[in-house]
Amino acid sequence: MAGPETQVKAVRKRVTWMHIVLFAFATAISYVLAVVSSLIFPVLGAPGVSALYLAAAIYVPLGIWMGLWGCLAGYISCLFLGLYPSGYTFIQSFIWSWADFIEALLPLLVFRALSPDPDFTPKRPGAAKLLPWFIAAGTTILFLGIVVQLLWGATYGEPFTTIYVVMVYLGLALACVGIAMGLIAGHARTWLATILSVIAAAFGSGIWGAGTLTLWNLPPPLPAELFWPVFVGWVAGDLIVLSVISTALLVALTPIFKRTGLFVRGWWA
Amino acid sequence: MPTILGELAGVESKSSRYLSLHVSTKIFLPLSFAVAIFFATDPIKALLLAAASAGACVAAGVPLSAIKRYLAVIVSMSSFIVLAFSLFTHIPGKTLFEVTLLSMQAEKGVFEWKLSLTDTGLTYALTFILRIFAMILSATLLMATVTDRDFVWGLLSLKVPFGACVATSLFFRGLQLFASDFYTIREAMMARGVDFERTSLAKRFLLYVNALIPLLSLMITRSYEVSLALESRGIAPGSRAASGYYTFRMRRDDYAVIAVSVTLIIVYVLWGRIP
Repeated sequence: MAGPETQVKAVRKRVTWMHIVLFAFATAISYVLAVVSSLIFPVLGAPGVSALYLAAAIYVPLGIWMGLWGCLAGYISCLFLGLYPSGYTFIQSFIWSWADFIEALLPLLVFRALSPDPDFTPKRPGAAKLLPWFIAAGTTILFLGIVVQLLWGATYGEPFTTIYVVMVYLGLALACVGIAMGLIAGHARTWLATILSVIAAAFGSGIWGAGTLTLWNLPPPLPAELFWPVFVGWVAGDLIVLSVISTALLVALTPIFKRTGLFVRGWWA
Repeated sequence: MPTILGELAGVESKSSRYLSLHVSTKIFLPLSFAVAIFFATDPIKALLLAAASAGACVAAGVPLSAIKRYLAVIVSMSSFIVLAFSLFTHIPGKTLFEVTLLSMQAEKGVFEWKLSLTDTGLTYALTFILRIFAMILSATLLMATVTDRDFVWGLLSLKVPFGACVATSLFFRGLQLFASDFYTIREAMMARGVDFERTSLAKRFLLYVNALIPLLSLMITRSYEVSLALESRGIAPGSRAASGYYTFRMRRDDYAVIAVSVTLIIVYVLWGRIP
């Protein structure tokens, strides 16, 4: 005769007021920060785009902590940023704002795939502090090298090809040092996911954001000729902000989110 | 009840007749300008659309001085657009001004970077700049005439789950709360000797970063308090709210404004087809 049946059922988590209220307040904070950063660090001629977009720094953590609520917070705050103070029409803003949804969604996907239960406890705080700077500098230099080659190197050859090669090697070397630091800073999968999130978020949102400002909107508020200046400004700024601030916020506040039960392990709950 | 732009920037519609329109009408009119902008492909069409948007703002009681709030946006975008058509590309046409900024012998020819102004380039730039005016005025019209109550009651009347209505309301209340929190944190930092005016951009950036952690901690605390208050009242996020509290009714003014909006779209779609 079998013993008492011990069947453990996984508790299905549901959306609670806590998720909704946190989402509403996160959206409000994101909007306030978005307005502040687009006024203090503006990119000339591209309203709503900031050289150091502080709000982006909280979309990445929000996506990781709050799942799709974080992505939605990014989208709605950017929708309102597009209307005021940027002055885009509702349609332009509706299309453009998906850039910030992507900015939170890509890190969420990376973390769900690589490290669903992130552990940011730094075993080597020195490596954890230096890592963002190496990643930001390395990826930015690598990216600028590729832009030089695409815009001029392919057409004119030397000396642009040499500049491209030097920048690619230097950027890769710095980025590799950053990745190595990530592997020794603490939980390797968590730090690797952080690095990939920063890079994916900066490029993913940059392509959509710069593209919808200059190429694919109804109508684009800026001419197509400005795609590269806006894209380079967007990605470089995001790489710095995301790697430096997001990492600091993740290290400082992830334990609080986990301890208080606010951490969303599924997509919505 | 202040409008969204009234709360954010102190600019709002003064016309009680326009403010009393159905929320759908107040959203549809700016939306029709947004659609028409797509078809404003030359300076004449763009100029007329900008004038029509300005006229709509005046009719809705929105002071045109509101555009001063967007002055930095207009100046920076306009100069960037002119630069785009003169510095980053060469638009074929009658050359009005040309100067070579950089000339370099490369492996496969001479690399030249020119500042070149052509009549076609200027026409393109003018169209983009006039469209910016229409764009900003349509955004102003929307933000200066719609209140957060319009959004919340509108959602309630559509029988959207209570959670979405509360989230919308909390978002608008949260804007004021966190803007005030942000300034409190900033003042606390200044009281401890931080001088935001004299610090370099890089240092100012790091100072603002320091303000983020208390701001996010406050967000968590507030969320706890508000969600506990909601839970203690026994309301589930998915429950449907009674829609009879306030009902929006379409009136003659609404039909008139919607007719004007539809006409504007049709005129621009048909006119846009004419090369």
